[in-house]
Amino acid sequence: MDSESHRKMADTMRKNLASNLVLIVAGMFLFFPLYAAAEFSLRNGADKTHGFAAYRWIFEQSGFAENIGITFRVTLLAVLLNLLIMVPTVTWLHLSGQRYKRVVEILTILPLIIPVVALATGAQLAMPEFMQNSVYELSFFYVVVAMPYTYRALDIGLSAHPLATLTNAARSLGASWLKTFTTVVAPTIRPSILAALFLMVALSLGEFTLAQLLHWSTFPVWVTNVSQQNIVGATALAIGSLFFAWILLFAFSFIGKKNSTIVTEEE
Amino acid sequence: MSQDSLVVKGLSRQFGTVHALKEFDITIPKGELVALLGPSGCGKTTALRIIAGLEKSDAGSVMLNGKEITSDAAHKRNMGMVFQAYSLFPHLNVAENVSFGLKMRKVSKENQKKRVDTILELVGLNSHHKRFAHQLSGGQQQRVALARALVTEPEVLLLDEPLSALDAQVRTNLREEIRRLQLSLGTTTLFVTHDQEEAMTISDRVGVMNCGSLEQIDTPDVLYNNPATNFVASFVGVMNKISSQLSDGHIEVFGKRLKAVKGEKTSGTVYALIRPEAINVKTNTTNPNARVLTRSFLGASSNIVCQLPDGTIVQSLMTSSGSGDLHPGSSVELEVSISEVLVTHD
Repeated sequence: MDSESHRKMADTMRKNLASNLVLIVAGMFLFFPLYAAAEFSLRNGADKTHGFAAYRWIFEQSGFAENIGITFRVTLLAVLLNLLIMVPTVTWLHLSGQRYKRVVEILTILPLIIPVVALATGAQLAMPEFMQNSVYELSFFYVVVAMPYTYRALDIGLSAHPLATLTNAARSLGASWLKTFTTVVAPTIRPSILAALFLMVALSLGEFTLAQLLHWSTFPVWVTNVSQQNIVGATALAIGSLFFAWILLFAFSFIGKKNSTIVTEEE
Repeated sequence: MSQDSLVVKGLSRQFGTVHALKEFDITIPKGELVALLGPSGCGKTTALRIIAGLEKSDAGSVMLNGKEITSDAAHKRNMGMVFQAYSLFPHLNVAENVSFGLKMRKVSKENQKKRVDTILELVGLNSHHKRFAHQLSGGQQQRVALARALVTEPEVLLLDEPLSALDAQVRTNLREEIRRLQLSLGTTTLFVTHDQEEAMTISDRVGVMNCGSLEQIDTPDVLYNNPATNFVASFVGVMNKISSQLSDGHIEVFGKRLKAVKGEKTSGTVYALIRPEAINVKTNTTNPNARVLTRSFLGASSNIVCQLPDGTIVQSLMTSSGSGDLHPGSSVELEVSISEVLVTHD
């Protein structure tokens, strides 16, 4: 009996060791390049001292604030479009548009199949002229490009709940369709909506090809141009935007959690 | 007429080529509990959903307290509904779930709290306000759903197989509780179920449905003892079907001449419809006409399954004390204890 439990303990320890080893190796794989880049970005020219010269250099480049601002606004519009178009549409597909679901599923894959160049040149022509002349056309494209991911994030969330029964219950309790959507459907699938918005934000913040092809100056385009001149500065930019994105996504998830507690207290 | 809470006339609904509902009529007086009973696909849930406004009808009308509501949206009908599937809102706790309907009706906060407390007390969940659906058992979830449907004091309570997903024990308790609550609140209730025991035990009247139509609606006693159609006779309770010759309005079953009622023909081969409790099994006999297959002990009574020489299976319900000496394989004599019998031709 005693040796049996001993053997079991040894077994679990061996398993723990193995999984920890995998974690450590994978961690090193991720961490070392990051560490090396961070170290490099902190070098002061040729001498062996370290400092934030390269980071200061970023802020001194013209167009920094302006391009960040543009990317922010484009991202914000893309997120809003996602909330207003994708969430209600996928909900409708689940509730009463079941027979169109397959078609839509295939449609949402198309942005992965059609080259971005085709989207940039072809789809842009389909836009009204005032949109073609505005940087915010990018938001619309980003919603389309992110669709394979955002659609699936929402689809999974909606499939996880007996949505038809929940909406029937809400309707029978006196909630109109709009109320049902805002007070029952949206809070129920809140984690999926947040996941979809994460993906939308991540894509909008980092998208380069479309912006470049359509000759819009966004933050990623600006980064590419600026980094041609200064190799240490380019590395500092890469590290900086990475940390910035992490902080942003972290804050986002925090906002999501905070909101949900507020909702429960209120309602 | 003003006493009638819910009046439904000529409801029809077709899905593709299937007539889910054909000319469905039902009238429910205030405070009555009516069950719609039928096999799956008989249209009972469709009828309920049309009454709730969750489904459209092709024809017919729904009147609530003398007011036509056929084309009103579901959320304007002031009906409470409990569903077969668990339907508590997962992001809200018990108290918030129950107060949902009150909030939609813009009831004041204090009033909401008071009514939620009262109704949760009534369904026996007064210490569960802060729990979420995933922290409750199936039976508790359905109690909350019931409280949520009743707290708004609906004109009609609609129950769509609310007990089907529950364990047998919980199911029995909860159905008694539904009846107790319904009687004390006096809520007009329409209860859809495929479980006849459920329907018969708690309803004032039971409507038996088949293929989209209401075959018969009456008290459980009348349905059982005086079924209007063959379908009702065989669907409600156990019914033996024994083949015999009809002549001159009479039929002979196990050597006894019985008066045939409700038959269309007066002669020829027909089936006599006889309840198990109307058949006696005698062991001490010189004239055996059947063989015992099994005897199932049910407590005070026992169910005895016999086979006639022509292969027909006959069930008998006897007191357990009176049937203790019946064993599989023994030859017995069957007798009927009635003098009138329902007959059918198919």
